[in-house]
Amino acid sequence: MKNYWWKFLGVLLLIYTFVFGLLTPLKTGITAASPYSLQAGQTQVVTVQGYNSFFTKEKEKLRAWLKTGSEFALAASQIEAVDDRTVKLTFHVPAHLPTDSKVKDFTLLIDSPADGASILPGGLSIKQDSVNEAAGKALWTASPISQLHEKEAITFPFRNILGETIRNTYYHVPMWMAMFIILIGAVVFSIKYLINPDADYDRKAMALTNVGLLLGILGLITGAIWAKNTWGKYWSWDVKQNMTAIALLIYSAYFVLRASFEDPEKKARISAVFNIFAFASIVPLIYIIPKLTDSLHPGAGGNIAFGSQDLDNTMRMIFYPAIIGWALLGLWIGEVILRTARIRERILDA
Amino acid sequence: MLIAKKKALSTLSLLLLPFTLLLAQQDTDFMRSMGKMYVVVAVILAIFIGIIIYLIRLDRKLTKLEDQIKNHE
Repeated sequence: MKNYWWKFLGVLLLIYTFVFGLLTPLKTGITAASPYSLQAGQTQVVTVQGYNSFFTKEKEKLRAWLKTGSEFALAASQIEAVDDRTVKLTFHVPAHLPTDSKVKDFTLLIDSPADGASILPGGLSIKQDSVNEAAGKALWTASPISQLHEKEAITFPFRNILGETIRNTYYHVPMWMAMFIILIGAVVFSIKYLINPDADYDRKAMALTNVGLLLGILGLITGAIWAKNTWGKYWSWDVKQNMTAIALLIYSAYFVLRASFEDPEKKARISAVFNIFAFASIVPLIYIIPKLTDSLHPGAGGNIAFGSQDLDNTMRMIFYPAIIGWALLGLWIGEVILRTARIRERILDA
Repeated sequence: MLIAKKKALSTLSLLLLPFTLLLAQQDTDFMRSMGKMYVVVAVILAIFIGIIIYLIRLDRKLTKLEDQIKNHE
């Protein structure tokens, strides 16, 4: 029992991850606003679709703005909550916009005491016939945004495009984190083998690399499924996808290499050296090259990391336990592989 | 040995088939309904199926070892 505690811990953490990662609701969001295009100088009604919203609750306290930057905003003159998911906003759009171009995108902001503040970035575009930036700036500061509410419940952030898939942060991302923890372990055993050629070090490195590859393949498959529904394609030939596929191929070569040696000592020594090279290549392939070029993947070049904006404190409470949970499950699987390899060695020796 | 490998491969592909078909033919409207919740379901399903396939492989390895022990006795 004493030696099993970490397996229990891993399973408990994963149960926690599944229960709270799936049951915690998302914050209120705005999914659509129509019409998309408005004309300056006219009064227009915009129909807005909410997500996880309760517009009819305290509907007289609903407020809405069109905004650009942090200074310029226009409050809706009339707000009609049709139902919990639909609200109609009337805007008296002034004749001039706070910009020197003919068309400008605006962010829609809705605030309610029940749902908190929610936005649709770049949700509406307004056209103007004559440009007068100074007049526009004056007109768009008349109804500033004030005292926004915060939803008082344990929720995950709502992001357009992502929607509920933000929960994949606890299933796709920890695959890679757990893979890394486990591959570091494998490299440590490979180095140990080169210092002191004990066959058990080689078996441990092999078992951990095996699990690391499993987690990597699962990470790639789950990433492709997520990509299909957010980027549009399973495989976009994105840098991050390509480089991880190459890294996993290098790690598959580890097992091809092992299978091609008869002499156990030679096999162990050469695969230990190869493992160190494989690990040295996976770091730049997965974490450095994608940061140097443009990528669709968060945390890579031209795209901010999840951590800086999207991973709030509520998500951290599930994300970090998820990493530990998946890593412990991986170690457990690795331990079973190791024990199988030890038994095989026994049989071959007998 | 070769037959066992072929068997393992066919089992693998058989197991994967309904899953890949499900995902490939699923029209995007369904996957994107309910705030794309089904994408999370598909991701968790993929991890589960991956671990099960891995478990089957391990099971086969152990069966082979058990056979070897039996032959020794």
